[in-house]
Amino acid sequence: MKKLKLIIAREYKAMVMSKSFILTTMLMPLLIVVCGGVPALIGYLNDAGSDVEKVAIIDESGRYGAAVTDTELYQFVALKGDTASATNAREFYDKSSGDLAAVVVIPAAVDQGAPVTVYSESTVNISLKDHINRELSDTITRAKLASYGIEGLQEMIDNSTVDVDVKSVKWSNDGSENESSTEIAMVLGMVLSLFTYMFVLMYGAMIMNGVVEEKTNRIVEVIVSSCKPFQLMMGKILGIGLVGLTQIAVWTVLVSIVMGVCGSIAGVGFGIMGDNSVMLGGAAQQAAASVDEDTMASIMRSLFSVNYAAILSCFVLYFLGGYLLYASLFAACGSAVDQASDAGQFTSPLMFIMIIALYAGMACIDNPSGPMATACSMIPFTSPVVMMIRLPYDVPFWQILVSLLLLYATAAGTVWVASRIYRTGILLYGKKHGFKDLFKWVKG
Amino acid sequence: MNYIEIKDVVKRYSGHTALNGVSMSVPKGCIYGLLGPNGAGKTSLIRIINRITHQDSGEVLLDGRPIVDDDVTRIGYLPEERGLYKKMKVLDQIVYLARLKGMPRSIAYSEAMAWLERFNLTEWAGKKLETLSKGMQQKVQFIATVIHRPQLLIFDEPFSGFDPVNAEQLKQEILRLNKEGATILFSTHNMESVEAVCEQISLINHSQVVLQGNVNEIRRSHKKNIIAVALEGDAKLPERPELYSILPAQDSTQETMVKLQQGVNVREAIAWLNDNCPLTGFHEILPSMHEIFIDTVNNTKTSQNEEA
Repeated sequence: MKKLKLIIAREYKAMVMSKSFILTTMLMPLLIVVCGGVPALIGYLNDAGSDVEKVAIIDESGRYGAAVTDTELYQFVALKGDTASATNAREFYDKSSGDLAAVVVIPAAVDQGAPVTVYSESTVNISLKDHINRELSDTITRAKLASYGIEGLQEMIDNSTVDVDVKSVKWSNDGSENESSTEIAMVLGMVLSLFTYMFVLMYGAMIMNGVVEEKTNRIVEVIVSSCKPFQLMMGKILGIGLVGLTQIAVWTVLVSIVMGVCGSIAGVGFGIMGDNSVMLGGAAQQAAASVDEDTMASIMRSLFSVNYAAILSCFVLYFLGGYLLYASLFAACGSAVDQASDAGQFTSPLMFIMIIALYAGMACIDNPSGPMATACSMIPFTSPVVMMIRLPYDVPFWQILVSLLLLYATAAGTVWVASRIYRTGILLYGKKHGFKDLFKWVKG
Repeated sequence: MNYIEIKDVVKRYSGHTALNGVSMSVPKGCIYGLLGPNGAGKTSLIRIINRITHQDSGEVLLDGRPIVDDDVTRIGYLPEERGLYKKMKVLDQIVYLARLKGMPRSIAYSEAMAWLERFNLTEWAGKKLETLSKGMQQKVQFIATVIHRPQLLIFDEPFSGFDPVNAEQLKQEILRLNKEGATILFSTHNMESVEAVCEQISLINHSQVVLQGNVNEIRRSHKKNIIAVALEGDAKLPERPELYSILPAQDSTQETMVKLQQGVNVREAIAWLNDNCPLTGFHEILPSMHEIFIDTVNNTKTSQNEEA
């Protein structure tokens, strides 16, 4: 036990003190923030930096020109219809000596469906087109409704436009109601599942490289003359596993801080997003516009309705089980080769299973309680990834229990198999080994 | 009193037998040579003593009782294929290996510093191993092997990778440890070092002990009745075929090698030479361990071929 602790401590220290670990741990959250934030920031800077541009309006209809109001980016100047028309739009543009960004011609029959034309020497900005489209459409619709002369028609139409909001409410056993969000459950499940997948592969590869390194360094014979090969293998697996948990802990803290900060300045954040969604086109604009205070509040409520403590502890349990299962097999792979580059033949089946697990998980998003999802969340090789998808949807407790038991029993089995391969493999140099040799070593 | 007692140890791997009924006794405080060509089974035997692998049958006794896992704290092992963690600092590395052998941290620390000072490596204590030269790395490895004051030291080709100056320093350290009471098991191909330091040897070939015993006795028992004779000035040794045959000169020394005929004893021959030649000196030539090694290995080869 004392030796195992020593080995765990060494592996942990060696990994945590390494530059690559410190960098990835600190920079990964930053990287995610940067990846998400940069486009928004660029869009913001793009808008903020540009001057207000003048756009001339030639209103042949004589009625709707005033409907187009100025924005932060564009100032609209009306040109009187008797002197200006579509035919001499170019003259005005040239006369302005670069003062005008574009000339908009509203045809007389615009309310009959005739298109509005924007003339410009450069490509017309999509946000300008969207702005004109929206303002003119609104005004013309209103004008047409008014032309029917029916009193209160506008109100009648407004009242009869119904947008059905589907809200999901979860009953809990104590009778209380929680507002839940399917979307948030889905995203959370996907994030956790991808996390597990990534971690198991990343840390599995780390274990394997560590084992190969000890073998090529030839330190392994020195170490196993002081302790059992099993202790060395488990020490490495547990030590590096602790590194993984440390990383998760650091990231959880960082994400909580970021979430807290974001929550307190959510209004400001959404304000910026609202502005920027202009560049994402009309749909996003409308979506952003519909994010009113009510929905914001409901998103926040749903975010906090998720039982993070339960999910996080399940995540840690599955993560550890899946990690033990795969890490021990990766350690066995490492022990059977002389260089990391030779390990492909042994690791590719493992990679293959992991990828199947990921695809199964993604397929289960649509029906997280279906037979396929249930089965895959029971099979130990896929359960750590697939169960993550299901967790936010309230999996029956007995299923979690059975799946965890299966997972840990299998992990114990793979650790045993791996230790048999490991204790023989680490002392054999030079010859390339195949699966047949591994089976022989397991049998002893 | 034997420190290690190996009794009829058999180790089989799938396909071949690495050790076939090997027995060996290493007296306490002895420097014992374990010799044999590559693949003879030396490393298998050493790994069994180190509890890295286990024998299929037979017994290994340490200090009179069957060896157990905890006994590894009493053994220091320097494998032939050796290495350390490249990215770990020198002092941390030595302390880590010492603690794995059961040494308390504080003692491991002070001992490590003392050893580093002895090898003039104090200033490297905080440096990563990969920044040291190969010779210095070997010294660090040696320190890690002996730091826990093992009563049994096992060295597998200890001098490989050392330049002559460092090899001599290493040899002196090993002899000093032996004087302080450590029993030393040497596995080597370097026959000169065997003659210089080993009291007893076992020669293993094809998984079996083919020669065993005290080095001097072995050399005497393998003597080929050759004596070196030195004569005054340019005098030539007369032919006496019934007494001896003159061997062709191998180098430019003044001595002439003669092989005595069967049944002729040294005293008889010297008496005749003394009477008939201007004799200035003579001494008996014992075969070197190198010759005995090669002869024995070749003999077992031919006898095996005959069996087959």
